[in-house]
Amino acid sequence: MRELSLNVMDVAQNSVRAEATLVRISVTESDKEDRLTIVIADNGYGMTDEQVQQVIDPFFTTRTTRKVGLGVPLFKLSAEQTGGSFDIQSEKGVGTTTTASYVKSHVDMTPLGDINDTIKILIQCNPDIDFIYTCTTDAGSFTLDTRELREVLGDVALDTPDVLEWIADYLEENTKSIYGGA
Amino acid sequence: MTVKELIEKLDLKILVEDDLDREVTDCYIGDLLSWVMGRAPADSAWLTVMGNINSIAVATLADASCIILVENAALDDNARQKAEMHGVNILTTEENSYQLAVKISKLI
Repeated sequence: MRELSLNVMDVAQNSVRAEATLVRISVTESDKEDRLTIVIADNGYGMTDEQVQQVIDPFFTTRTTRKVGLGVPLFKLSAEQTGGSFDIQSEKGVGTTTTASYVKSHVDMTPLGDINDTIKILIQCNPDIDFIYTCTTDAGSFTLDTRELREVLGDVALDTPDVLEWIADYLEENTKSIYGGA
Repeated sequence: MTVKELIEKLDLKILVEDDLDREVTDCYIGDLLSWVMGRAPADSAWLTVMGNINSIAVATLADASCIILVENAALDDNARQKAEMHGVNILTTEENSYQLAVKISKLI
């Protein structure tokens, strides 16, 4: 993928397919430590160790339309080609946690891309699922928790245009504040 | 032109041999696998430096006639195994993609 946010979208969609009701996504970027770490954790139905091995194998897919599945393998490759690491922890009936860690300064580092847009689209397309998005830099951290939004919104759905616009603004403003106005 | 003829004309080294009588009707160059997988034409010779397991999956998906690892780029052991299992021809050359593609354009 040309942007890591697309990998986040892909893995989060796997969480949706695994019938997760809560998906935690965190992006932690540190210039000091020269690291970017992405974690996607869900409470979906989880996988056995054997299934975890299968999803990192490009020649395994649950699709019937073709015989290879490259979503997770390419995510793994993107991390490893920067000297970073990739890990999937999963337990049947509990959920799955996918962690990709990057050495930011590596020349083969894929840009993060528009992660805020990815989060917004995930909420928009899955209004019945809760998302907790946390972004952290050396300058600070912020969190968007759709469970908190629901409390305030009452019966108003998360995918209504006004709510989505508020989410987009919230993400943009907070991102600016922890990326030094960039 | 078949893969076999391409090997002879371009003096390529064979790393994994499957069906060398496959036709090569096109050529594609790319190293970003997610990009290549949706764009490499079928029956093409795919020139890349990526010799990992995912490359084999991409070649399968794109139905490339062969992978040509340019500039002596390495082929991972597990990639070699998967290529043998899934029948993907893999060749190598010390030339870079441009140099090789210029020669290929005169052959196909």
